[in-house]
Amino acid sequence: MKVKVGDVVLPGDYCDEIASVGAKSKVLIGPGLKKEIDHVFVTKAGVLKKRNPSTFWVDSYQKRYIPCRGENAIGIVHQKAGDIYRVDIGGSCTASLSYLSFEGATKKNRPEVQIGDVIYAKILVASKDMEPELVCVDSHGKKGCLGVLSDGFVFKCSLNLIRKILSPSCPLLDSLKNEWPFELAAGMNGRIWIKANTLRETIAVGNAILGAEYLSDDEIKTMCNNIASILTGHIS
Amino acid sequence: MASTKKPSLPKAVLDMKFMKKTKERLEREFENSKGHDTLYADVITNEMKHASSNYISEASFIFCTNLLEGRLSFKGMNPEIERLMERESSHTNNGEMTKDVSDEVLAKTMVKFDKRKRHSSPSKYNIIKKKKQ
Repeated sequence: MKVKVGDVVLPGDYCDEIASVGAKSKVLIGPGLKKEIDHVFVTKAGVLKKRNPSTFWVDSYQKRYIPCRGENAIGIVHQKAGDIYRVDIGGSCTASLSYLSFEGATKKNRPEVQIGDVIYAKILVASKDMEPELVCVDSHGKKGCLGVLSDGFVFKCSLNLIRKILSPSCPLLDSLKNEWPFELAAGMNGRIWIKANTLRETIAVGNAILGAEYLSDDEIKTMCNNIASILTGHIS
Repeated sequence: MASTKKPSLPKAVLDMKFMKKTKERLEREFENSKGHDTLYADVITNEMKHASSNYISEASFIFCTNLLEGRLSFKGMNPEIERLMERESSHTNNGEMTKDVSDEVLAKTMVKFDKRKRHSSPSKYNIIKKKKQ
């Protein structure tokens, strides 16, 4: 069936708008779209979205993570195997993380990573046929925001929720950031790590994030206000 | 085609006795590469060689939507991360780096430097400059 941008689409649908843009200029087709000989076909069920000038993708509800190159993910170290760590990032197989891909690591000077540690890492290689490879440094060899996440609390959510809270238009983090100190790491693999000073604050952040999944922007703001007022009420 | 691009040994050298093995190897390579060109010549058209697509496939959402960096810290929970966040936001807001010295002040001081250089005796830096010109 022929579909437009903004429609609910199903696998097998095609969109002529993408083809018409593609005839003139370069088009970036994101997840859920596939170029065949004569049409651009939809391969996932969801909502067809467009970002100007020429980016198209299908926003679908998904909980199963498929590793993609360049994304940041939260993983748990499962095994030390020779010179690599095996890290579970929620994909179909575990990812490998070389002990040399940490800031300042050498063959003699190994990073301190134990089994069971939570790691925030970037996916360097992701392909259909091989296990994904992680790194904890950027191209300059600096660790930046990557590395081992100590303490804190990890929970899982849908992949959509991660994208929702990280989109610049989402009011969730804006309304929470002035209430109490906390730290957050969101992996594109549907895992969120949070850390706050007290147990009560940590739970509050977690509940606010999980509660925001099906709420509109205004509802998120009121929910955050409610949580903040409950929290201050309990402390005083 | 390939043989013209690559630097190759002269024939006189290859005819020498100790170059026998190298000569054999080069001949074998040449025959192999000749085979590649002719093997699929009837299938591969010129269009296929020069075809380019307007469609760029991307498997990840991060290149479609401009998401925030996934590591955040608020109200001084982790000063290291907050410094990184600040740097990131200043980059995205202005599109250029924040200036320590404003353009006007820089222009004024540069004029002063110019005057000083003309009066001063030629240093080694000046001499190098003149040579280049």
